[in-house]
Amino acid sequence: MRIKLIYIGIILLSIYFLFPLYVLLLLSFSPAKYTIQRVYPLLYFKSFTLGNLQFAFHCYDFIHPFLKSLFVAFLVGILALLLGIPAGYGLSRLPAKISYPILVLLLITNMVPGLVVAIPISVEFIKLGLFDSIPGLAFAQELITLPLATFILQGTFSAIPREIEYQAKIDGASTLSYFINILLPIASPGIASAFLISWMFSWDEFTYAVILSPIHPTLPVEIYINITRGNVLAASAFSLVFTIPVIVLTLFLQKYLKGEYLTGGIKA
Amino acid sequence: MKQNLKYFLFTLPALIYVLAFAFYPSAYAVYLSFLNSAGHFTLANYEELFYFNFACSVENTIIVTFGALMIQLFLGLAIASVLTREFRGKKFFSTLVIVPMGVATIVAAIVFSFIFQTYGGYANSFLHLFGLKGINWYSNRWMDLLVVMISDSWKNTPIVTLILLAGMQSIPKDLYYAAALDGAGPIRRFIHITLPNLKKFIAIALIIRGVSEFNIFALPLVLIGYHPSLLTTLAYELYSTTTVNEASAAAVILLAFISVFIFLNIRLGGGRK
Repeated sequence: MRIKLIYIGIILLSIYFLFPLYVLLLLSFSPAKYTIQRVYPLLYFKSFTLGNLQFAFHCYDFIHPFLKSLFVAFLVGILALLLGIPAGYGLSRLPAKISYPILVLLLITNMVPGLVVAIPISVEFIKLGLFDSIPGLAFAQELITLPLATFILQGTFSAIPREIEYQAKIDGASTLSYFINILLPIASPGIASAFLISWMFSWDEFTYAVILSPIHPTLPVEIYINITRGNVLAASAFSLVFTIPVIVLTLFLQKYLKGEYLTGGIKA
Repeated sequence: MKQNLKYFLFTLPALIYVLAFAFYPSAYAVYLSFLNSAGHFTLANYEELFYFNFACSVENTIIVTFGALMIQLFLGLAIASVLTREFRGKKFFSTLVIVPMGVATIVAAIVFSFIFQTYGGYANSFLHLFGLKGINWYSNRWMDLLVVMISDSWKNTPIVTLILLAGMQSIPKDLYYAAALDGAGPIRRFIHITLPNLKKFIAIALIIRGVSEFNIFALPLVLIGYHPSLLTTLAYELYSTTTVNEASAAAVILLAFISVFIFLNIRLGGGRK
């Protein structure tokens, strides 16, 4: 009896999690007369069409926003590693008395609302010529991903025994060669997940993007603009193409997306 | 000591970066919020917020934060406790649960706007299927906020689930066996073993989600627009229609609320080791 109840719960939850994605598929691949033009849109595929997608990609600019999102996301991921690896390493080796306040500070900056930061930054960026640019947006988004990346890397490096480092030093390795030949390879799963989480965050980010890059938008902003202009089918077609790669990525890298990573930094 | 300095220098670039991009703009926002368009000191920006029904935005923001946190915590606990046991299709289900994490917020917002439409909405199609009448999902403020909470919870329950699952897996199985031997049923085991051991993880989930919930922006923007407004949508509306100074005033209020939240967290969680 109890087992049955659990299965009913699981099925209901599965529907809850899948239904929105199913709706996205319906909108993208059904003719509009079965979806947005009905009082009660159909809940199943009556006929299948690629027309919506063709129409959307033919009539609206997809490529530029897509490329912008892609470049910004890679820049954010690379910056997160460039700044986060040394920071994570330093924090993992500092005594808790020093590293804990720094981690709290990072956590606090992570909580500063995007809007609060973005509005004054937009004023400043206009002066600096960074407004609406790829690096400008990446710099701003980095604010949120860098603390996360640092938490993940700090946790990863902490798990590596310091004896290995001492041994390497005794064997005559410089700090740099220890870093490149020993530390980074051992820490590669953590590094991969720091990069990925940064990348995914930037890919999804909306607040900074809409304020700092409104003229040549990223894909999320482009989708939003299409919705406000009533280009509903374009918005859903873009949404679909925007979503599929990340879902595939999420499933593929499921093992890196662990609760431990999210809690690791704060537990210290 | 010298060693510590070396390690500190490693962290310095990231620290400077974060401070430059968080503290300086925040201070600048406070400064801007007290200026009028001629660059003189004024309190008018804050006074004018009241014309935009600002008190109501604060209230809405708090309601959404609280409501969404409750939904996510409830679902997260339910799903995590299901995932700690063995059953057929577990692998499939645990994969499924994580999927919304990969869906962008804006996409979630748009799909849910199609689901919760009064005319041509999939939620109403669903009700229609069972012979029920369609509901006007935007008939009043409470419904509007509920739509936002549900949509947001779809996207963010996975994170809460992952954190709680990590917590549940850290609880020693022996405790459950011992309690079961003593005759404690599943509900009592949940209340007396799972919940107390999970406290720290629940706190972490609430901190992480609570702050983002206060900042929730793209979802309400797409789903309900500017009315009823939240603090973020109000600030954005002011940013795009009036002056930077007025938008800054709304943003500063948002910052003030977040600061209180952070302060409470550090005070309450400060002893956490």
